[in-house]
Amino acid sequence: MKVNRMKLLVGGVQLRDGVSTITDLLGRILSRAGLYVMGLERGFASTIYGAHQYDPLVITEEPAVSWGDEGLDILVGLEYDVDPDGPEQPNRDSVFRHGRNVVDGGVLIYDSSSGAIPVDALEARGIRVFSIPARQIATRDLKKEVVKNVVMTGALFRLLEFDRDEQWLRRLLEERFGRKGPELVNLNLEAARRGRAAVEAILAERGWSNVGYRLEPRPTPASAVYISGNEALVIGAIEAGVRFYAGYPITPASSILEFMEEHLPRYGGRALQGSNERESIRAALGASAAGALSMIGTSGPGLSLKVEEFGVSGVTETPLVIVDAMRAGPSTGMPTKSEQGDLFLVTGGGHGEIPRIVLAASSIEECYTLIHEAVRLAEIYQCPVFFLTDLNLGEGRMTVPEAVFRSGQGAVTRQLATEQQARESRYLRYKITDTGISPRLLPGTRGGISKINSTEHDEFGFVTTDPPKRVAMMDKRMRKMAKYLQNDAKPPQVFGQLGKGPLLVGWGSTRPVLLDAQKRLQTEGINAAVAHFTHLWPFPTALAKPILEAGKPVIVCEHNYIGQLAEIIQAHTLVAVRRVLKYNGRPFYPAEVVRAVHEVTHNGATAVRLGGKDPVMVEVSSDA
Amino acid sequence: MPEATKSVWEQNAAPRHRIQWCPGCGDFAVLNSLKAALTTLELTPTEVLLVGGIGCSGQIRNYLNGNSFYGTHGGALAYALGAKMVNPELTVFALAGDGDTLAIGIENFVHISRRDPDITLVIMDNGVYGLTKGQDSPSAGLGHPAKVSVEEHPPFLDPVKMALTCGATFIAQSFSGDPKHTTEMLVEAVRHKGFAMVNDFSPCVTYNKFNTYDWFRAHCEMVPGGHDPSSEDAAWELIRDFERREKLPVGIIFRKPREKAPAKRLPMWQAELERIDLEPMLKGLR
Repeated sequence: MKVNRMKLLVGGVQLRDGVSTITDLLGRILSRAGLYVMGLERGFASTIYGAHQYDPLVITEEPAVSWGDEGLDILVGLEYDVDPDGPEQPNRDSVFRHGRNVVDGGVLIYDSSSGAIPVDALEARGIRVFSIPARQIATRDLKKEVVKNVVMTGALFRLLEFDRDEQWLRRLLEERFGRKGPELVNLNLEAARRGRAAVEAILAERGWSNVGYRLEPRPTPASAVYISGNEALVIGAIEAGVRFYAGYPITPASSILEFMEEHLPRYGGRALQGSNERESIRAALGASAAGALSMIGTSGPGLSLKVEEFGVSGVTETPLVIVDAMRAGPSTGMPTKSEQGDLFLVTGGGHGEIPRIVLAASSIEECYTLIHEAVRLAEIYQCPVFFLTDLNLGEGRMTVPEAVFRSGQGAVTRQLATEQQARESRYLRYKITDTGISPRLLPGTRGGISKINSTEHDEFGFVTTDPPKRVAMMDKRMRKMAKYLQNDAKPPQVFGQLGKGPLLVGWGSTRPVLLDAQKRLQTEGINAAVAHFTHLWPFPTALAKPILEAGKPVIVCEHNYIGQLAEIIQAHTLVAVRRVLKYNGRPFYPAEVVRAVHEVTHNGATAVRLGGKDPVMVEVSSDA
Repeated sequence: MPEATKSVWEQNAAPRHRIQWCPGCGDFAVLNSLKAALTTLELTPTEVLLVGGIGCSGQIRNYLNGNSFYGTHGGALAYALGAKMVNPELTVFALAGDGDTLAIGIENFVHISRRDPDITLVIMDNGVYGLTKGQDSPSAGLGHPAKVSVEEHPPFLDPVKMALTCGATFIAQSFSGDPKHTTEMLVEAVRHKGFAMVNDFSPCVTYNKFNTYDWFRAHCEMVPGGHDPSSEDAAWELIRDFERREKLPVGIIFRKPREKAPAKRLPMWQAELERIDLEPMLKGLR
């Protein structure tokens, strides 16, 4: 019996079956019950309707190290067939796609409203199959098709022997629908009961007392939220003091805009849905110049359109936080698949040279904590600060203890010149200083005026092409980066002991997988360490070099073709690196990384490219 | 204008001998009219934000005291939008040319007209790209018969019609040969609560040998006294009527006062950034 430890996958037809309705219900209820749910590797399509969507959830008692491998304990298939003209055919997409991943002795539960699927090949592997006519129950017995998902949830809960007295489900339903009257709550509870009864009947018929998996509420449930990276990022940004946000709808950054629009006005700020990507970033620059802590969010294709404004932010020294929720490129790429392909764009995008800072979050929790750092650095160094997250982090959800958000980072300290300071001498917006940071007086403050200029300028802000002035101004701006490296750059976080074996190097959302792989290598007697970068640019050479030099060998794992961080590391530290790369749209799985490390250490591979094999459709029946 | 007041707008500005416009450029008149209008409006340099466009016109922000922002080609209105959104107490100008507004920046012109922020857009319209030595701008061919247009030189794009179509609430035209009138238009535009566009015919003496001061004098005609600028229909009729007669209307063509004034809000940067309650955001995520 596995208690409170399983990987479950819900699959179905996008926008029809309500895959995320079920996973959201589960995520919230289980988080409330003191368990940890991690749903970071969601699969959805960029078509609007009808494509396959799936949502794997890892359920654990303690926070999971990573999302684990592809293997599933429980597969939930929501598809049914509704073609009124065709012969009724059970729709088996989820079973076909994911059936091969169900572990021997696992569970398959699917909606059998349009007929049972022959699954003898799965049953032969000891997989217990539950065919529940959820849609039929909902439409025929309850006269309300939408509750079919609650029928399925009830069935799942019975399978897992969870929520026998309906208390968790009832409470959530009451909170959601309570205002609309008790009828809706009761209807949903009745739906759950029907699902429960259907499972009960199958258990009795087959003579099974249980299915080998159970969920139990933890005795002292810690208060937790089931939250996505984008939501965590918004909370962190607003707390840090961001009061202007602009965006243009783009997957997977749209939810930042939506969450900002919902909440920012409450805190005195304003969110703008720009008419296009360029209007968004320009408005944000205008807002920043006029004094608000400003932020924009977009994904690769949108960032490409904003590139010309990187220079404006850098040369006018107007602070701006630029969130890039990376998705697979190039061009339109794979809009609903994750990648780490934008590092070169944010470190080098734009013509000419400007000071800039690049940070990357590695977890949902870090989306909240690190965005504060991004806002602070933008305010101090008056330059664009790029904040990289990706689709898995942005759209994925996970249980995060509320204590994380109660740590109270507060707002960043503003670095603004006062009226008094400006009056003391003639105010110069671009005053040459030792640190490269000039006093920033906001338009509207008496005592001086700000001539903010994106053409090369003198200290006052007037256009100049005078060679010595150009050199002085360029040096001044770039000095900020030296200051940053001295004061605020962070070395990679190191996990494990350095110098005993291979060093796995990563950035962004790959951290949990590298840690998981490290654990597995440990059991094989290989002492791998993990070095994970959050502060990527300017590259912290002095801090990182000693760490990287200890790697035997250094293996950089990233989701792109070239190995963009690997290139940067080699160029800056002259340390030779090996690469483990994956760019098929799926995240790394720990077992893959372990295999790749063996490829490198035993077979001397310099680069391992993963995930190229075609997906294999599984035979679910010998006579299908 | 008393000299003492006028000089307020000349402090902290590039000295007159460093002005880089060609002698006779229409933009000199716009600069003087702007100084006069700002003086009439009793504004101080700290209260204004001059967002410059790229091109000869954009240089105006350097020749005038006051906060300024200078970014990329076509972006003036969008920067102005963001600045005005977070600090409503600033008087925000976007000072741009015809190429800047109607070619590369047309996306911003169209959508910011729809948004109707309280910004004044001044287009210094000369029909050419002067800074890059005289290429055609979208308003090139003003007054030419349409039949000379070929694919490479499409017909003239009228900013007045564009603004009216896109929902701008104040539309006026003026001519640099009549700076007093330009001043009046600028004053009215700033007083208007909402997006105000003043298209100023500002002849390029170096590259536009067709739309000269004399040509404009012969073709500009005041909006007739009986015109009702609050009516959109009347505005369209006026435009059509002038088009038929091959004249250019000068004066207020359209003005629709805001029905409801937006709520007064503090400049955002003055708001204290104190520790905030995250509960409203976390509530929906449990």
